[in-house]
Formats: sequence, structure tokens, C-alpha cells
Amino acid sequence: MSTQPRESVLQRRLSLSEMLDVSSFQEVVRGFVELYRIGIKVFDERGAKLADIKIGNGDFCGYVFSFPDGRQRCTKWVQRVKDGPMAQSHGARLPVLDGERAPSGLVTAPCFTGLRYLLLPISFEGDTLGRIIFGPFLPEEMKGFPDTLTDIAGFEVGTAQALVEKVRRAPESTVARVMSHFFQVFETLLLAGQKMYLTSQLHIEATLAQNKELEARNTRLSEMNSRLKELDRLKSSFLATVSHELRTPLTSIIGYSEMLAEGLAGPMNQEQVDYVRTIMDKGETLLKLISSILDISQIEAGKVRLTFEPIDVQEVISSSISSLKPQATKKGVVLETKVPPKLDRVVADRDRLRQVVVNLLANAVKFTPKGGKVSATLTSVEHQAELSGDGYRIIVEDSGVGIPKDQFDRIFQSFYQVDSSSTREYGGAGLGLAIVKSFVEGHGGLVRVTSELNKGSRFIAILPVIPPTQMANVSPPQLPIPEEPDRF
Amino acid sequence: MQLNHAQRELTVKIVYYGPGLSGKTTNLQMIHQRTLTDVRGRLLTVETHDDRTLFFDLLPVFFSTAAGFKVKVKLFTVPGQVIHNATRRVVLQGADAVAFIADSRRAAAQDNNAYWKNLQENMRENALDPAQVPVVIQFNKRDLPDSKTQEEIEDTRKKGREAVIGAVAIRGEGVLETLHAVLQQAWRSLDARAALQKNIGLSEKEFLTQVFANIDTTGTELEKEFPPRKVEKA
Repeated sequence: MSTQPRESVLQRRLSLSEMLDVSSFQEVVRGFVELYRIGIKVFDERGAKLADIKIGNGDFCGYVFSFPDGRQRCTKWVQRVKDGPMAQSHGARLPVLDGERAPSGLVTAPCFTGLRYLLLPISFEGDTLGRIIFGPFLPEEMKGFPDTLTDIAGFEVGTAQALVEKVRRAPESTVARVMSHFFQVFETLLLAGQKMYLTSQLHIEATLAQNKELEARNTRLSEMNSRLKELDRLKSSFLATVSHELRTPLTSIIGYSEMLAEGLAGPMNQEQVDYVRTIMDKGETLLKLISSILDISQIEAGKVRLTFEPIDVQEVISSSISSLKPQATKKGVVLETKVPPKLDRVVADRDRLRQVVVNLLANAVKFTPKGGKVSATLTSVEHQAELSGDGYRIIVEDSGVGIPKDQFDRIFQSFYQVDSSSTREYGGAGLGLAIVKSFVEGHGGLVRVTSELNKGSRFIAILPVIPPTQMANVSPPQLPIPEEPDRF
Repeated sequence: MQLNHAQRELTVKIVYYGPGLSGKTTNLQMIHQRTLTDVRGRLLTVETHDDRTLFFDLLPVFFSTAAGFKVKVKLFTVPGQVIHNATRRVVLQGADAVAFIADSRRAAAQDNNAYWKNLQENMRENALDPAQVPVVIQFNKRDLPDSKTQEEIEDTRKKGREAVIGAVAIRGEGVLETLHAVLQQAWRSLDARAALQKNIGLSEKEFLTQVFANIDTTGTELEKEFPPRKVEKA
């Protein structure tokens, strides 16, 4: 279970300043103020100012403020309007609307100077996010200044009268209508801003979440990968050890059988000799199998290094052919060799190359029925497009059962058998071609296969004249990971 | 749930989940249409050019309890398209109950299953305990051909402990019933966890009444319990 992610933007209440673009909002407010000539202040729920545009009242309020009493009353009043309750208390009352519609929560707050303000809480989705203060304006019906202003020591009505004329005079209902209009615009800005803020924040959150997920997945994958590599290494080393331990006693079994068969321990009758020879034959087969397992496990463990030297390929071919001869003759399969009259000397690992040819020939003989034909062809050195350089080809062709096309890649996989059923006709561990591919690639070469079912197969090893030295370390065949077929 | 004792405020989060085009946004639109503006905000939606939910939809519903607690119920939808899984997970964070909107058509069974698994997975990722976060299943699009029979839906109900409700959201059928079920279960699970009744004096009845008394329940199963108010719509 993952840890609780940090709180999403969807979980918390947004503030006005998050939803509004403050500077463009101030422009809108300024436009309103200039149009209607009434000041507007907007505060958020913590009392921070988002907009404060004054108009007309500066001189009058400045005059009142110039008296100590006036200053004191003014400060107290501002405090009340800005931070005081929005209810109909502390001097606030419902506005006189004269049939005008007004947003809910609107109250009128009369100033001690006789001027008036309208206060509107900013309700958004059930929350109060701040307040709008509209004013001051001069009430239409106001005739003289109230006592709360005129009793200030030194106050001159005449001076004040001249200054207050700059403040807009309007009926409360008109101001309420303007307020209502302003609030509609304000709400629209707020909604648009909320939408933008929420979606952009959510987009960021989603992207971060996705990144985190990908990182976690990458870590998991790389851990799994190293674990798999480790397991693979263990498997190869296990195979190598086991094969080695199997080979030692097997050599003794074959050796002692041979001695028995040759009569070194006294004469045997014909039947006994036949039995012992069977033991020897099967022992040899088993030994070959174990040797290939040992080879492939050493290849997989990265322990095989090729030793390159100038060699005679013709000799490699002919010695391979002669080692397969008894098998082919026994099965009634004809073995043929085609080699060019003269071949340039090439550089290769002689023993490994011989093993390549022997494995290919052994396969060919194995899968070719009685009366069939197997041929090994060696080409002369010429340019090989596949290698982008000079090279030669060893082609082993048979007239055997052939290989289905969709198996061409898989046959080079260790332990893979085209027919892996328990009743299969042909024996073997499925390692021959994997070894061929590894060794040929270790020489910097390529193996190609073409085949037609029931007609035969053709394996082509394309090898460079001189292997690139860095390829001397043999690696296991890299094969595409087989995919599970679609179920439907 | 977010319970703020200092501000006397309770926020409940309901998430409408389900495969793409199963009708999550339609559910919210219907609720929005039938709810008086006194108790709801605007429906916030962000759509792609083909009218599919891009991030989420949000419909806030709010009221004050008799004990003076402010309650906000936020109804969210998640985007249904497969590629928006990260967004789905973020929106699901902190959900108190889930309405799973499934498409009743047989052909949609595979999608429903996939999204159901996806819901379980994302709940786990968000550390939401399925034992504590109730889920209500709505079988939407009951009117379409190829939709499952009542018996088949009955069988689905028996497979789990979730409430199952049939609906044709586009006609408003089953939408309020689903909302009622999911709110009821949300209250019950929150009461079990946070003792809403005891701590803030909010009963199940008051919780549901505060919401449904402001919703036009005409023609729904809820009409008797919450008779529609005779107020002109704003």
C-alpha cells in the first residue's frame, strides 16, 4: 500500500486570490468605479485587500480625518466596515431597495458622517470568501450632516458641505442595483477563475502522480531484471557443475565397457560383446549430450573465449564430414562435400568452427530419412553484403523433413525443439543450433536458414575472413522473447 | 471527510466512478437540474471537444444543520477514458463513498469489470479501505436494447454487498435514488467512524432531508419521503 499522497487541490477551500487574477481584476473594478463614480473595496476572508479604488470622497474624508476626534471615529468606522459582522447589527440594516433586486446578504452601513456604504459578503458554494464594500455615497435624501459629525470640535459645516458635493449622490436602491451588477460580473470572474485554477492544478497533480507511478514501475522492473540475470547466471553455473560431475563417471563407464569389449578382462561370447557395445554407444550419445549442455552453459555464463588463428577451412569441412560418415552410412543417407579448389586462408577458432559444421551436419543427418542426401558446401572468399566485408559461406543442405517458417527464429533457442511432444521421433536436447549460432556470431558472422516442409532445409553460416577481435567473447544467442498468442 | 470543529464545518466527498460514456456526468447534470440553487453551486465541468470529461465534474451541495454546522457535499465525477487513470486516482483521493456507474448493456460487461478492478486498485493506492468506503452500483441505460435483464442484475447484486440501482440517467430515472443511497451509506459509514450524530448532532434523517428537501423529487421513489417543495426554480 502506498503512502497517503499529499492533499489534492480538490480537498481544500480556494481563496479569492487563487481564483482571481488580481491585477486584471483591479482593472475591472477601476472600470466600474469610474463608470458609476462609487468606490469599491474587495477583501478576502483574512482581511487582505484585493482591490481598493476610491473616487470623490478623498477631500471630504481627508478634512474629517484632520480633526483628532474625526480621525478616531473614522478609524473605528473603517475597522467596523472592514472586519465587523456582516449581519444587521452594529448599525448595519437592510438596504432600501424600492423594488430593485439585490444579492442576498447585502446590508447598508451608515457612516457617522452621514455618508453610506453597502456591504456584501462574497458567498461562494456555501462559504464566505470575503466581502465587497461599495461606497461611500451620499444618500439622495440627506439634507444636513448628523450630530455625530457636527459635534467634532472645530468642524465647519460650510467647508464640509463644499467638499462632500464631490461624492456621488444617489438613492440607496440605485447603488444596490449597481452592486448587484458588479456582483454578477464578479461571480463570473470567480467561476472562470475557479475552473481554470482547479483544472490546471489537477493537471499538475495528475502528471506528478503519473511520473511517480512510472518511476516506481521502472525501479520494480530494474530490480526484477537484475534478479532474473542473477537467476540466469545461477542456472548456467549449476548446469556447468552438474554436466561436469556427470561426465567424469560416464567416461569411466565408457572406458571400462571398451576394455570389456576388447576382451581385456577375459573372453566374452558374442551376445555379451553386443550388450557391452550397446552400453558404449549409448554412453557416447550421453557424453555428447552432456558436452553440449556444458558448452551452452559455458556460453551463457560468458566463459567461452574464442582463440583465432589462421586455419584451413577445407580441412575443417572434410574432417567434420568424416566424423559424421559412420552415422550417415548407418542411416543410409548420402553425404556430399563441395569445396572450391583453392581457398584463401582465413582466421577462425578451428575447434569451434568444426563444432559448428559437425552440429549442422549431425542435425541434417538426424532429420533426413533413409535414401536422403546431405551436402556441405564451402564457397570461396568474396564480398558478403550481410557482413559488409569479405567472407565465406558454409552451407549445409539436406533433403529432410524441413522446418515450419514460424519456427525459424525459435530453433536457435536453447533447449527448443520443433516437436517437443513426448512421442517425438527425433532425439536430442535442442542445443546444437543454439551452440552454432553463438559460435558463428562469436566470429562476427551470421546464420541463415531456409526450409520447405518435407523437402529439406538449408543452413548457411556466413563468416568473415578475419573476425573482428572484440567479438572473441561468445555470448548466448539473443532471441526475440516469444509472445503469447492472442486468445481471440 | 474533512471535519473542522473550529470552523464548524463538515465536507463530504462523493465520487461518481465508472467506464467512459457510462453516464457519470449525466447523473450530475440531472442532480444539478433538479436541485434548488439555495443548496447547490454551479456544475463545474471541463470537457474535451467531443463532450467527454477531461478532468472531472464538480457539483457542490451545501447546507447548515440545526446545530449550526456547515455541511458541504461535493459530488465529483472522474474522467472515464483509460488514459486518464492518474486523474481518476487524484479525484478519488479522500472519497467518503463511491457511486459506480455501470452500463447495463451486455456488451459493456468487460468494460465494467475492468473499471471495477481499476476502482479497487485506485482505492488501494489512495489508502481507502473498501470496508469503510461504501460503493453503490448504478446500472445505467436500462432502456437500451441488449441491456441485462432484471434477473441478471439481481445475480450481480448477490455477488457482492453493494447496493444496486437501475437507472436511465438521461431521463433522470434512478439518479436521485442513487444519490440517496450513496449519501445514506456515506453518512452511516462516517457516523461509524466519526460519530456524526454524537459529535456534531447531525442525524441521518437531517443529513438526507437537508439535501432532498431542496431537490425536486417528483416522479421518483423519494417523492413520498421528501415531497417536492412548491417553490419556483431559480
